[in-house]
Amino acid sequence: MTVVIGFEGSANKIGVGIVRDGEVLSNPRRTYVTPPGQGFLPSETARHHRAVILTVLQEALDEAAITPADIDCVAYTKGPGMGAPLVTVALVARTVAQLWGKPLLGVNHCIGHIEMGRLITHASDPTVLYVSGGNTQVIAYSERRYRIFGETIDIAVGNCLDRFARVLKISNDPSPGYNIEQMAKKGTQYIELPYAVKGMDVSFSGILSYVEEAAHKMLDSGNCTAEDLCFSLQETLFSMLVEITERAMAHCGSQEVLIVGGVGCNLRLQEMMDAMCKERGAKLFATDERFCIDNGAMIAQAGWEMFRSGHVTKMPDSWITQRYRTDEVEVTWRD
Amino acid sequence: CRICVAERGAICSNLEVPFPSECLASIALNSLAPDREPRRGGITKELLVTGSVRWTADEARVLRVSVGSFLDHLSLVLETMEAFGPPAEQ
Repeated sequence: MTVVIGFEGSANKIGVGIVRDGEVLSNPRRTYVTPPGQGFLPSETARHHRAVILTVLQEALDEAAITPADIDCVAYTKGPGMGAPLVTVALVARTVAQLWGKPLLGVNHCIGHIEMGRLITHASDPTVLYVSGGNTQVIAYSERRYRIFGETIDIAVGNCLDRFARVLKISNDPSPGYNIEQMAKKGTQYIELPYAVKGMDVSFSGILSYVEEAAHKMLDSGNCTAEDLCFSLQETLFSMLVEITERAMAHCGSQEVLIVGGVGCNLRLQEMMDAMCKERGAKLFATDERFCIDNGAMIAQAGWEMFRSGHVTKMPDSWITQRYRTDEVEVTWRD
Repeated sequence: CRICVAERGAICSNLEVPFPSECLASIALNSLAPDREPRRGGITKELLVTGSVRWTADEARVLRVSVGSFLDHLSLVLETMEAFGPPAEQ
């Protein structure tokens, strides 16, 4: 048996998860929620994580009913993400690894999402759509790398949604994307927005500028409701994502799609992706908010795969990095 | 914590952190050392296992930021040691 503990804190969620041979033993998490109209800044987010990380770690151990001696490896997010929160989490991971005399392992956050998705859904070789507040990528596995077939050329899709929520002062509790999704269900009118697919890549910053500029004018004139805007924005952004995912599938001859990342728990995105999959005779795999949204278990799971195939990170090499591309990691645990 | 002005107008600062044992001092060193200062930040930081830290900076502003965040990091490491220590027998 191999038990791995994973520490995640690259954005506004802090989580510690424990995985034993494909079984999630515990996965507690806290979210730093900012007031409506405000985003989360690195230093404040780091302060939030610092205040709760030791409590979350104790919860993870208690819930899993294991002692530090039972753990085989301590995994943590090396990057990508916000610098200050990453450092906070890495400091605790390094310290407990040494206190407990266990090997340390730096994990790529994006790989964490992919491996967690594969574990939960049992998708064998899917085309992966990774959509969150910081990342938007279409990924497929080939020759020991998760290769990026398409990605955003500016901001992430979740960042576009988050910043749109700030314009309308939509609550960030539990997350801006969740509240947009609920409001979008009441939208009745589709407002045409720019559509920006560029080959295999997508662009969201122009769409955001457009709605930021137009939103208040349209709302004030009574031409549409906030719900209509939420609906129209979701339809536009998700259509773009489905389009590039379908193109990647056609290229790879893939019959499976796996959606991971925080935006991946949006049911409208899953519904649109499923419609495309059905037309192609393909199968959609997705997870719910427990595993889609950043969590400790995903780092533990990727760490488990890496550790079992012989990876460890020496203490002097355990620096965090804000930029860390998915295709930088050699995938030694898959054929 | 001492602050002095070194050669070429650079500002330096020294900090001594006492630890109850050499083992805990080296754990703290290993936890705090991996993340380097920004390359063109006009600052260098040197950590020694004796529990001392030495900064050299071009400007007082960057020195203040670096010392401040170091102290935050150090206190988190110490809290972690208190909560999840003592070190297991190797």
